[in-house]
Amino acid sequence: MIRKGKGIGCMWYPIGFTVAANPSAATVKVNEDGTATLLTGTVETGQGSLTVLGQIAAEELGISTEDVHVVSADTDATPMDTGAIASRTTYVTGNAIKLAAEKAKEILFEVAAPMLNVKPSQLEAADRKVQVKGFPQRFLPIDEVALQAQFVQGQPPIGSASYNPPTVDMDPETGQGKPFSTYVYATQIAEVEVDDETGDVNVTYMAAAHDCGTAINPMLVEGQIQGGISMGIGFALQEEMLFDEKGVQINPNLTNYIMPTSLDMPDIDVDIVENFDPTGPFGAKGVGEPTAVPTAAAICNAIYDAVGVRITSLPATAEKVLALIKEKNEKDIKQLSPAE
Amino acid sequence: MVDKVKVKERESTLEELREVNDDLRLPSVPEKVSFPIDVVTPEARTQTPAVGQRASRPDGRMHGLGQTKYIDDMSFPGMIYAKIKRAGVAKARIKKIDLSEAEKMPGVMATLIGSEIPVNSFGPSYQDQPIIADKLIYHAGDPVAAVAATTEQLAADALEKIKIEYEQLEPIFDPIEAMKESAPEVHPGQGNIYSSKIIQKGDVDKGFKDSYRTYENTFSTQMVEHVPMEPHASIAEWDANGRVIIHSSLGRITLGRADIARTLDMPINRIRVVATVVGGNFGGKNEITTEPILALLSRKTGRPVKGIYTREDEFMSSTTRHPFIMDYKTGVSEEGKIISRKVRLVCDGGAYCSWSETTLGKACILSAGPYNIENLYVEAYAVYTNKTMTGAMRGFGAPQVCFAYESHMDDIARDLDIDPLQIRRINAFHEGSASPTGQVLQSVVVKDSLDVAADRFGWEEWQK
Repeated sequence: MIRKGKGIGCMWYPIGFTVAANPSAATVKVNEDGTATLLTGTVETGQGSLTVLGQIAAEELGISTEDVHVVSADTDATPMDTGAIASRTTYVTGNAIKLAAEKAKEILFEVAAPMLNVKPSQLEAADRKVQVKGFPQRFLPIDEVALQAQFVQGQPPIGSASYNPPTVDMDPETGQGKPFSTYVYATQIAEVEVDDETGDVNVTYMAAAHDCGTAINPMLVEGQIQGGISMGIGFALQEEMLFDEKGVQINPNLTNYIMPTSLDMPDIDVDIVENFDPTGPFGAKGVGEPTAVPTAAAICNAIYDAVGVRITSLPATAEKVLALIKEKNEKDIKQLSPAE
Repeated sequence: MVDKVKVKERESTLEELREVNDDLRLPSVPEKVSFPIDVVTPEARTQTPAVGQRASRPDGRMHGLGQTKYIDDMSFPGMIYAKIKRAGVAKARIKKIDLSEAEKMPGVMATLIGSEIPVNSFGPSYQDQPIIADKLIYHAGDPVAAVAATTEQLAADALEKIKIEYEQLEPIFDPIEAMKESAPEVHPGQGNIYSSKIIQKGDVDKGFKDSYRTYENTFSTQMVEHVPMEPHASIAEWDANGRVIIHSSLGRITLGRADIARTLDMPINRIRVVATVVGGNFGGKNEITTEPILALLSRKTGRPVKGIYTREDEFMSSTTRHPFIMDYKTGVSEEGKIISRKVRLVCDGGAYCSWSETTLGKACILSAGPYNIENLYVEAYAVYTNKTMTGAMRGFGAPQVCFAYESHMDDIARDLDIDPLQIRRINAFHEGSASPTGQVLQSVVVKDSLDVAADRFGWEEWQK
């Protein structure tokens, strides 16, 4: 018989390295036509980080994502970056880029101020313009300012900066300290169907509500969450590296190491929880790793709700679930039989 | 005029060719593809402000058209291919490596063993991992020799001709057994517990005394692989100035370059690491793997050398997710408020430390869950075993402890007859909560995430 269950997984996760320095540096160059080139040492590993980093530079310069070209991942050409690890790219590299773009923008403002007869501090960059705060009708197109800066004033608008999250050492005896600058939070709720005759578990629905501070690009956040859930399902139900008694892996291939495919994916509803972190670039934190964290917990709690057995060792394979169901049934029968 | 006629003639010939004539069986001519293809820019990319836009990825179109160049798509003139011989035994002393038969094979251009590597060790926390094992084997996936040949198949064939004599040593696979004094040491003279962490806050024993009920359970998790679609891949090539260019699937090029420089005993500025679009990382590509081997084979042969992991290499010798054994004891009030919690984590660290130190630290801090707990004691150990090394993987110990603390939470809720959603609401962090390490937390939205997910799921209305 198919039995349905629901289960919650709730989690918190830090952004960046534990105490250890994990800096990023970045360079932003505004070209003479008002477009920009961004140099970053991070690597695009499929998550869309370069798009997000381009959006951060664009936002700071008041131009569009399309106006920013991102050059990445060449140790001869790009500045130091700790890399695509620890859910740190949007937060740490993003902060470095925001600071670098700010420096390039300051040069633009210095050049534009006398042209607009105001002080540099009275200016802001928006919609491809350098405009007077509180009086946006008085503006100059950014390309005009960039051209003036480079070819008339001889001041190419370039900015370089770095960022390292502030932390405090942990006490070796009590662990007390500030190991991370910030954390994100999330809840996933799973609906499962468990066949109590075979032990087979089918995840039918997931509701995922994740905090990432400001979502710089909501579409990419959703992509991360969907990907994380697929990884979480594999961790919960299927994947396991097995070794023989001599320590040699017996399933080093995708025939015997079973991963979830698109057909194993449930319907997923993603919600991005509204939040703003004052220490992040435009309030952003991160989302990469946390998406894979609460999935297994939610699924196992849903299995418990469905058939009343507690999975204490992952993965919850059909064999394991069925054995637990049988064990439980035997116990229930014993309890029903009259006391001696 | 003459030119125009000529063009016309040629066009018509092409058209004819395109129509497959069954009688003549002419090959069909593929559609002409010219670059650049007109790129339609989606509106979200051109709008300001930029933050918050659902801007598409510039690499999306390349992926869609199959035009993305991964390392395996790259080729350089004269390029040769490297393959790596794996130990196949979990613990042993290498007595003899005989490469003579492999080297005699036509097409084999160079071989490499551990003793030829200038500094044969690396690792992000402790440098306990050899690039190629030279004396001792610590796990079955350890590399013992490398071969470079003119084709991948020849290199793979040459591996079969390498003869290695081992003296078998007693391995240990169970982390709990490995913690015992009497257990054989994975790294001789070092002890198997290579990292430990403690978090202490309040008084757990007093907390348990004050509790309405206490609960205990033990949870464990398995070893899993990242399984990126693109396996680890690199190409190394020297230039005439004695610089080496390494195209690599590394996710951390700056620190990767420093590691490569250290193992090759070279100044950092003579190494250039270029990363392409990586076909999946998930933490598995945060360390160097074959880069120094390829660089040395390239220097020996004067040729660019490509090395791509097979899926088997990927499983046997790249890092994996740590198996954890987690003991939880929790004391709660009648209303379901957690008063005291004691946690013991043992993480199977595999043959080398890799990122275990960091994983253990994060797991330790996160093991209490996103909940206010005044009395907390967590102790955590990373233990060497003769298994594939465990390292960075999406979540750094968090999925393991989350599985434990959330399963434990539901057991408590059920016993106290409190709704699972409610018990989490009661205990969840709020703005300004102190974390297990005493850090004042900001931008905390645990409760919001619970509410949003519950609303979306229809937690209250849901029926079996």
